[in-house]
Amino acid sequence: MTPIRKGLNYSFYPGCSLHASGKEYDISTRALFKALNIGLKEVPDWFCCGATPAHNVDELLSLSLCAKNLSLADAVEGDLAVACAACFSRLKVTQHHLKDDAVKRKQVETAIDGPAAIGKPVKHILEILAREFGLAKLEEQVKKPLMGLKVACYYGCLLTRPPEVPELDDCEDPSIMEDLLRAMGAEPVKWSHRMECCGANFTLSRPAVVLKLSRAILESAQRAGADCIMVACPLCHGNLDIRQKDIQEKQSSQDATLLGNIFGSELQHGGTAQPRDLPIFYVTQLAALAMGVSSDKLGFESVIIDPKPLLKEKQLL
Amino acid sequence: MHLSNETMNVSFVKKVEALSGSSVRRCFQCGKCSAGCPMSSFMEHPPNRVVRLLQLGQGQRVLAGRSIWYCASCETCTTRCPNKVDLAAIMDALRKLSWDADGPSKESYVQLANRLFIENIRTYGRQYELRLGAAFNMKSGQFLKDLMLGPKLLSKGKLKMFHSKNRNISEIEGIFKRIEEMRKKGEAL
Repeated sequence: MTPIRKGLNYSFYPGCSLHASGKEYDISTRALFKALNIGLKEVPDWFCCGATPAHNVDELLSLSLCAKNLSLADAVEGDLAVACAACFSRLKVTQHHLKDDAVKRKQVETAIDGPAAIGKPVKHILEILAREFGLAKLEEQVKKPLMGLKVACYYGCLLTRPPEVPELDDCEDPSIMEDLLRAMGAEPVKWSHRMECCGANFTLSRPAVVLKLSRAILESAQRAGADCIMVACPLCHGNLDIRQKDIQEKQSSQDATLLGNIFGSELQHGGTAQPRDLPIFYVTQLAALAMGVSSDKLGFESVIIDPKPLLKEKQLL
Repeated sequence: MHLSNETMNVSFVKKVEALSGSSVRRCFQCGKCSAGCPMSSFMEHPPNRVVRLLQLGQGQRVLAGRSIWYCASCETCTTRCPNKVDLAAIMDALRKLSWDADGPSKESYVQLANRLFIENIRTYGRQYELRLGAAFNMKSGQFLKDLMLGPKLLSKGKLKMFHSKNRNISEIEGIFKRIEEMRKKGEAL
């Protein structure tokens, strides 16, 4: 394939999740960028960004880990592409904090034992696709429009908040995911929970929190008539996909008890609307599918809620 | 609550302000932070009350509760505050002060998860998710927690059985050590 646009090359910070529990995000990002002929070169020997646990209890450690990663990325050509919303947020926070704070910068430079080469622009793949590659070009490249697919775009927390850090989109009413979806021929639904928190890293320490918050998100998407949810963060994906069966079980038993209390026990096992499976897609999986990338190269086999029945129903497989 | 020089710890508030880089005093209790907080139902002091308690020099009451450990760092409060009180940063500062003091907390599971996560970085350079989950269950005594999830995720290839350390792992150890030294010498908070 001939290059579509010369010089669109990025360094890439995948982050820990993309090498493990979110590996289909890594696979589909690479497949999509290859299909669009955008260069993507992984930063060698990157470290964990520290994520929420590090800044939760030790800001200096968090800033130092991110500054170290930015310095490693500085040696690789191209702006830094990041797929994980949490890594993206931590790297941008570090740039934001160290820009004007000489004291913190000095401490970080002592910690990493070298100058903080942190100036490289950090970009989330959403903005690379929608703004740098461009929606118009993307639309031209679509080979299989995602016709008839109703999608709830889920932003979660860190892609837009606090607005002066990610500088990605409006912090209360963003549209970048919906814009991308429309370019792929799919139909974004209007729904209430696209900016709500999924419970994030409480999945390890307090799963009950995740079950409560993620349940509200899944129910809202279902009420809005969505066939599926699209995310751009491996932590959101983990909570909505991996925990979905647990949520459904809890939901059914609670609904049955409630109905039983109202109508008597004979109704407990009949008549309740069963929660529907909602496949959770990464933005890169849907975009790659629309670009004609074969579905067996997008990691669909490693998710919990099987998206294939839905894709078959919509004749997208 | 009787307020006096004896019952108010003002120096604690100053520490919080220094660590967070945010004013606590600017808050005029509009309550927007608590209205938008997805976690307030889990907290005994919702976010606006955490700030009010700080204003009144009652930091120890905040640290003794679970509110700070149930904050999800979703940044909704910081985003919506009309007075630019960076509540998410204040929560970080409070957690750090509680962490350093190894102080009273009702929320040991979140602290344990944080500690294991950071230990993983120091040992491996990157997260080794299987070890993180297993160590959490062992140390929290919840041996059966998510028991069926592990094999499922392994079979899907979402968890790796083995994980190799970064070859530049010594650089991470250096970062941890130098931060510890700075703190010992009083050059960093």
